[in-house]
Amino acid sequence: MASASIEEKIERGAGLATADGGEPKAEYGFLEEVRSIPGGEGVDLCIQCGTCTGSCPNANEMDHTPRELIAMIRAGMRDQVLSSNSMWYCASCYLCTVRCPRGVKYTDLMYVLKNLAWQSKMAKRGNRPLAMARSFVDVLNRFGRVHEATMLGVYYFRTNPLTALPLAPIGIGLLTHGRLPLFPHRIKNQAQLQTIVRKAQELGGISQ
Amino acid sequence: MEDNNGKGKTRERIGVYVCHCGSNIAGVVDCPAVAEYARSLPDVVLARDYKYMCSDPGQTLIKDDIKEHGLTRVVVASCSPRMHEPTFRRACEQAGLNAYLFEMANIREHCSWVTDDKAKATEKAKALVSAAVRRVVWQQPLQTREVPVTPAAMVIGGGVAGIQAALEIADAGFKVYMVERDPSIGGHMAQLDKTFPTLDCSACILTPKMVSVSQHPNIELLAYSEVVDVQGYVGNFKVKVKKKARYVDEEKCRGCGICEEKCPGRVPSEFEEGLGKRKAIYRPFPQAVPNIPVLDRDNCLYFQRGRCRVCERFCDSNAIDYEQEDRFVDLDVGAIVLATGYDLFDASADMRYGYRRLDNVISALEFERMCNASGPTAGRILMANGKEPKSVAIIHCVGSRDTNYHQYCSRVCCMYSMKFAHLVKDRVGHDTKVFEFYTDLRAFGKGYEEFYNRVQEEGVTFVRGRPAEVTDVPETIDEVGKLIVQAENTLVSRQVRIPVDMVVLSGGLEPRSDTAEVARMFNISRSQDGFFLERHPKLDPVASMTDGVFVAGCCQGPKDIPDTVAQAAAAAVRAVGLMNKGKIQVEAATSMVQAELCSGCRVCNKLCPYSAITFDEEKKVSVINDAVCKGCGVVAAACPSDAIVSRHFTDAQILAEIEGVLV
Repeated sequence: MASASIEEKIERGAGLATADGGEPKAEYGFLEEVRSIPGGEGVDLCIQCGTCTGSCPNANEMDHTPRELIAMIRAGMRDQVLSSNSMWYCASCYLCTVRCPRGVKYTDLMYVLKNLAWQSKMAKRGNRPLAMARSFVDVLNRFGRVHEATMLGVYYFRTNPLTALPLAPIGIGLLTHGRLPLFPHRIKNQAQLQTIVRKAQELGGISQ
Repeated sequence: MEDNNGKGKTRERIGVYVCHCGSNIAGVVDCPAVAEYARSLPDVVLARDYKYMCSDPGQTLIKDDIKEHGLTRVVVASCSPRMHEPTFRRACEQAGLNAYLFEMANIREHCSWVTDDKAKATEKAKALVSAAVRRVVWQQPLQTREVPVTPAAMVIGGGVAGIQAALEIADAGFKVYMVERDPSIGGHMAQLDKTFPTLDCSACILTPKMVSVSQHPNIELLAYSEVVDVQGYVGNFKVKVKKKARYVDEEKCRGCGICEEKCPGRVPSEFEEGLGKRKAIYRPFPQAVPNIPVLDRDNCLYFQRGRCRVCERFCDSNAIDYEQEDRFVDLDVGAIVLATGYDLFDASADMRYGYRRLDNVISALEFERMCNASGPTAGRILMANGKEPKSVAIIHCVGSRDTNYHQYCSRVCCMYSMKFAHLVKDRVGHDTKVFEFYTDLRAFGKGYEEFYNRVQEEGVTFVRGRPAEVTDVPETIDEVGKLIVQAENTLVSRQVRIPVDMVVLSGGLEPRSDTAEVARMFNISRSQDGFFLERHPKLDPVASMTDGVFVAGCCQGPKDIPDTVAQAAAAAVRAVGLMNKGKIQVEAATSMVQAELCSGCRVCNKLCPYSAITFDEEKKVSVINDAVCKGCGVVAAACPSDAIVSRHFTDAQILAEIEGVLV
């Protein structure tokens, strides 16, 4: 690549030189990668108006605001995007999607980024929304239904079990009122669900 | 294939020309292959492909071939006939070939532009060429006709666009009928306070023009009137105008205003955007032209309850006439200029900004009226509680640049928003905080960037970000009793909540709500955004697709005052040019009745949209007046005896064409 002509660089969408004057890195393919995944097409439409961030209930918790995240994807900042916590703080409230003046389905894009982050092992382990998402999926795979007690057990075990202590009185209250079943309900033919999940994983539709 | 062409007469000598149109056609269609194919068609003596047929060398090619090879028919496969049919017809005529012996195959809009499939596109191009070749054999020489142009124009809409167009045409010496729907001319510009970037007083620069309209000997002003029907064609339009009843005799009224003063009815004023009141008999604003009041029947005590008649009692000139009725006038004009303007985007459609839901969230026109010295607050910017705001947020792009509402940029909002910022600083005081929430600042005109810089220097805070919402629900103690604008300050990537006293929504410009009906009445098209469609976006932005109908101002698309005035003057010149010629050439492709086949049923007489058919009582057959016929073909299709022939669209020609496509 050292002798890539200008035409080749433009062809790759990599007209931008890196700060150290070296060859553009393969990272400039990140935009291409995101837009090629269903749900990721919206990155091309954005006009950077910030309606998404303004509407976002969790924007203040994010490393990068939703609008900024799109700008970073376009700039090819793969590592910074995929290692950020932004997509994990998306509450899927869809307010950005409803309001976006360009029709970007931002919530879908957030799922694309979650998948990419997980697949490329860039999601940070200490990230609590991620731990919650994983616990949810694990429990779902296991029982076919969500079981709150198991899910929270797994979640707090994954993060910091001590932080569960203040919640104990609420848990006991829920238990005694029959709002928190001790044992999980399982669906019938659970093996079939797992076959479906396995197949989807093989096809790359679900992160492993 | 037999040796003759099925016509049982001598063979024609056809020349076929396949245009590359640069890469527009050649990028998808294999033009040399199409030319090669054309050579194999009956009667074709030569076929060429060339880069640009419409260029001078391209036309010369045709002319030289006609002379050297004795061509008797010419086919050009290129763009739409709308684009270059006149060009090639002229080339044929210059070489001595009748223009109607030329045929065009559209292999651009109908072929290369609509697919990437090269093989299929080439096949289709061949089919279209084959159709044109087979058709052209049957075409007959026709003579174009000249008809006179009525030396009068109609301008529809009395805003600044209409005013400018009317004055230009009238100054050029032609009669102008100006039709305005509202009681007074002036349009939206009359409602504005100042104009950017010079801060001229809008009324001060407009009202002299309004007065000129009313005093110009060549202009007949039909205010409070609407066009109800349009017939005819370029040079010879017949327009029916409804003059709505004013209930005031225009001849007798002296415009003293006593009726308005004494009238007890008070209703929200349309001109003041509902912020102020007007009487039931009223002039929209003091400088109204014509200076004659209108009685609003729906709010008049006499009309609604049967008693009052105060205006009549006080009127010295006996001008009040409760018996007046709508009148209709028929006018003959040669050209029409449409200048029907725009509607301001109704911000209440975008719920999140709280317009009509939260106090002190106001529209752009409401703000204009508030700033105006003769407006409802006498020029003071006031909140609902009557106090002046200490902080104001101005939100750009409301209803514009948003696929949920209008995708286009309305072009004027950035500039008028900054004008608003200046007016707040100017009227309320320099310590008033003003926030401009913008997505991109578009200061594109002469002196506009300088105005932006001036407003910056006045201490206006620019926040780059489109607000997500305006709310009155506080989250902190500072926000209590305020309107909070929540947005992202995109330049620092922070979500911000800015509490303010007043929010101004800079709404976009949208097509008039009745644009569809008006377009239908004048037989013109609309573009995707809903505005009237110009004939060519770059090279003919003032003509419509209908000859003799021109467009000016915001009815064609959002624009500022200088652009509106420029377009209006250009439309006027086009209308004047048309009338100045005195005569125009019209299509020779008219219909004719074959008298020996006509049964005299008279079905066609009423169907003709141009009233071109009369009935010959003596011979008991229908007769088409060639000068009036537009060759639309309606009666040719309707005639039960097949007695009517549509010249240039005969059955033989159309069947040959179909056959050509199917071969």
